[in-house]
Amino acid sequence: MRALFVACFAVLVVLSLVAWQLVPPIDDQGKTRLVWSTDPNPVRQAQVDLFNKLNPDLHLVIDPNNTDQQKVIVQSQGGVGPDLFDCYATEQLEAFVLTGIAWDVTDELVSRDINVQSMVWPVTLSSFIYHDRVYGFPRNFGTNALWYNKNVFDEAGVPYPKEGWTWDDLIETAKKLTKRDKTGRPVRFGLYWDFNTTAELILQFGGRQFTPDGTKCIIDSPEAAEAVQLSRDLMYKHKVAPSPVDEAALTTQGGWGSGGMTWLMKGQVAMAYGGRWWLNLMRSETAKGLRLGCIPLPKSKVDTVIGYGGITCINRHSPRRGKALRFLLFLMSKPYNELLNDQADGMSAIREYCLTERFLHNPEHPEEDYNHVWLSLIQIAQPAEISPFLRGNEMAPLRNQLDLIKGNLKPVKQALRDAARDTNERILRNVRTSPRLRDLYEELTGRRP
Amino acid sequence: MKHQAKSRLATHAVLIFLSVLALLPFFWMLLASFKSLPDISSPDPVPSSWHPENYLAVFRQVPFARYYFNSVFISAWITFLVVLTSAMAAYSFSRLQWPGRDVLFRLYIATMMIPGLVTMIPNFSLMVNLRLLDSYQGLIVPAAFSAFGTFLLRQFMLSIHPSLDEAAEIDGARPWQVFWDVIMPMAKPGLATLAIFTFMGSYGSFFWPLVMIKSEHLRTLPIGMLYFDSQYGRETNLIMAASVMSVIPLIALFVAGQKFFVRGIQLGAVKG
Amino acid sequence: MSRGRNLGIGLAFLLPNLLGFAVFTAGPVAFAFGAGFTNWDLQSTEGLRFVGLENFANMFTDNQFWLYLVNTVYFLLGMPLAIAGSLGVALLLNANIRGLVAYRTLLYIPSVTSGVAIMILWKVLYNPTFGPINRFIEGLLGLLGIDAKGPDWLLSTNNLLALGVEKVGFVPAQFGLGAREAIIIMGIWAAVGGGNTLLYLAALGNVPAELTEAAELDGASKWNVFKHVTWPQLAPTTFFIVVMGFIGGLQGGFEQARIMTGGGPAGTTTTLAYYIYNKAFVEYQMGYASAVSLVLFLMILAVTLVNWKFGNKEVNY
Repeated sequence: MRALFVACFAVLVVLSLVAWQLVPPIDDQGKTRLVWSTDPNPVRQAQVDLFNKLNPDLHLVIDPNNTDQQKVIVQSQGGVGPDLFDCYATEQLEAFVLTGIAWDVTDELVSRDINVQSMVWPVTLSSFIYHDRVYGFPRNFGTNALWYNKNVFDEAGVPYPKEGWTWDDLIETAKKLTKRDKTGRPVRFGLYWDFNTTAELILQFGGRQFTPDGTKCIIDSPEAAEAVQLSRDLMYKHKVAPSPVDEAALTTQGGWGSGGMTWLMKGQVAMAYGGRWWLNLMRSETAKGLRLGCIPLPKSKVDTVIGYGGITCINRHSPRRGKALRFLLFLMSKPYNELLNDQADGMSAIREYCLTERFLHNPEHPEEDYNHVWLSLIQIAQPAEISPFLRGNEMAPLRNQLDLIKGNLKPVKQALRDAARDTNERILRNVRTSPRLRDLYEELTGRRP
Repeated sequence: MKHQAKSRLATHAVLIFLSVLALLPFFWMLLASFKSLPDISSPDPVPSSWHPENYLAVFRQVPFARYYFNSVFISAWITFLVVLTSAMAAYSFSRLQWPGRDVLFRLYIATMMIPGLVTMIPNFSLMVNLRLLDSYQGLIVPAAFSAFGTFLLRQFMLSIHPSLDEAAEIDGARPWQVFWDVIMPMAKPGLATLAIFTFMGSYGSFFWPLVMIKSEHLRTLPIGMLYFDSQYGRETNLIMAASVMSVIPLIALFVAGQKFFVRGIQLGAVKG
Repeated sequence: MSRGRNLGIGLAFLLPNLLGFAVFTAGPVAFAFGAGFTNWDLQSTEGLRFVGLENFANMFTDNQFWLYLVNTVYFLLGMPLAIAGSLGVALLLNANIRGLVAYRTLLYIPSVTSGVAIMILWKVLYNPTFGPINRFIEGLLGLLGIDAKGPDWLLSTNNLLALGVEKVGFVPAQFGLGAREAIIIMGIWAAVGGGNTLLYLAALGNVPAELTEAAELDGASKWNVFKHVTWPQLAPTTFFIVVMGFIGGLQGGFEQARIMTGGGPAGTTTTLAYYIYNKAFVEYQMGYASAVSLVLFLMILAVTLVNWKFGNKEVNY
């Protein structure tokens, strides 16, 4: 028996050596390695290669496996965090700042005579500046617009949408483009509408989810209700957008991923609301004959859209943070921003690089005649609504009610009323149990909760 | 007699029907794995055209071979450690006399009732603090100790006649030798049972790898399948091929070792 | 041999296992008991502090908690069917026919392969538009002349108890076959023919043949033989299976939720296990999650004790 166990142990040791060998190695070639925790979008590597070329003493590598916010915090607190990491929303930034992980680079930038506030589109400011201190820089930004598949329009004999159209126009157009087979099963939808876009619609209809200071949830206002109702009606009344059950049917019909972008490319939806960053992934199809157009949503009471993007921050605990700063400077530089705009990975956060002829008309892609749309939209964009009294994962009461609406399980007005009530309860509970929030609440409302 | 033959026939019929029901999903999965993607949505389970290259495509889309290796590697280590430490502990509980032995054993048994969830959170925190998150060690070590294994092997060892140890001791053997040369060989069926159980259990383990694994090169088969489904989930035919490959080792291992399996379950249930 | 030396040797053999037990089981349990009373949160901007019963108060006043508790208990509804099914299979396999081992093996396969791959398979099987289950149902109904669509299964909040989605209560419109039923059906498929069948088989083998033969000679029908002779003999096994079923069932539902439904639709397939996972490993509210896991543990303990009290009386006649 002893022999058996020893033999097994030996085999396991050999396998362990094999396992360790198989861990992918990174060759630094004597340079300082910087680790950037970001998404594995293929364009990212080209951006990294450009940085490495311009900074021969540094070796920037991407770590795509640990991008999730909590993981970054946990790892950084455990001492093994990345040098650079990405942040996607203001409440994430707050978490990174308050847990002491994001490095305050304000003084570094001032000493280099860099004034970020004047460089960037105003919508981006709140995403990387917290309480007047700079904690990172936006590596890209953008808004959403309505993509449409010209081939599908042509096949259905429907004229392309024109700017200045109304919601009724949109619904009519989508109806003409929605096709069903003999048994009534949908084979093509006129519109792909991510239900989360409802947040933007609410702002466009003159409502809000929260009061501007974030102390109260007001999603039950008539304007917000009108917006949510429209969102819901697209699926269940006009039936031009897929409901959750419809989506499950569409996905098995082919295509390599799911989501509006794939369905748009495959012609399973005629129009889809998405960002400029889709373009980079869709170019493989446009090369094969896909023809795209792009147009803003119909205008409503308020002329606005939501802007979003990725911010790169430096890990305050990193011993290489001084070198990592050069990456932030790279993000502000011409070579990077031109590459970004060419790649169509969103658009540059820096104004001057978008106000160029090269942005409007990319010589390598003359068919992309819609960049003026992106330019006009980013100028009316505003950041997504947040409340400082709710953490990201505490939007659950709100999300739950919206899910019920999305699943057609509850009438809109009732759901929004309950959402507002539950969310306000949660806000007050947080205010009561956290000294910091209690002070903030008092400061904003002049009242003790 | 005719009555008996009729009832036998009826029994066969029902068993065949149940077996078909049990295996139907597997057949569907197998057939679907050979289909082209649009064919998946056709009502006919049989592929209209056969695409065995789906299986190769799986290996191209995701590092499936790596997932296999990880699952086998980690399960092998866990099995080895569990069998070894449980055997030693079972020997201690069953063949050696020492004060407090039975009290401690009852404590072991009591902990088997605690839901795994309760210990997951503190264990995770421990791994974070020991910097063992996202590592092979972190996946292997916490799973390498099993109260169930100790319990099972103790049952086996209790059934070995004590005269054997006594004879060995009279011959001057020390406990370590008695353990290896007398008890362990006699406990071979028990060891085999525990080994099979443990291996198959760790192979399918989901919760712990889910919270521990962050890097792609470390993923075990269940985690790999999960990510495969969420990233390429719409390629249903490939998913089915991957599922077939995931499931075959389990079936093969079970069919080969079912004698131990059956005995293990039946023995484990006899309340000690 | 001196007692001290015995202790030394005994502990020496026990040591590796004991160490692991202390570090990964006993220690964590104690830790979890403590953590449930703190505001421990891995991404918190507040300091760690003792908050007494606050987690529990929040838990019991949270509507979602009760909904998830209901879900957890709902999934136990499949247990009687699964146990009856396992018993039925065991009775069949107990007959004197050829090929028993083959049947037993084939019927065990669903149980042995249960895991991520199989759940992903069932997710596809349950697709409301293209999955073979609905195709079959619609085909069958079509043969009978009924033109209807199959249920939405994993995408539907309908259920056989017509439970509502937001509050614990009955909503007639919610009657139907939905995600919960889908998961229960899959669970029964995976369980029947599995370990419980083997246990019953072993127990049936231990039923003294004289008893059944005597009853049959007395003219009792097959059903009466089963009811009055076999079933009482199986009582200890049934008792064990029921207790294990409760223990497993109350902490289950995690894999199904994580892999097949994401806890939805509208939270109808979120069990307490999945809730704990989300709170701990997605939202990193470790203190609160520990508190919930403690409550779960106490529930399991209570159920087990209740079972023991009543079950034991049945068993000891």
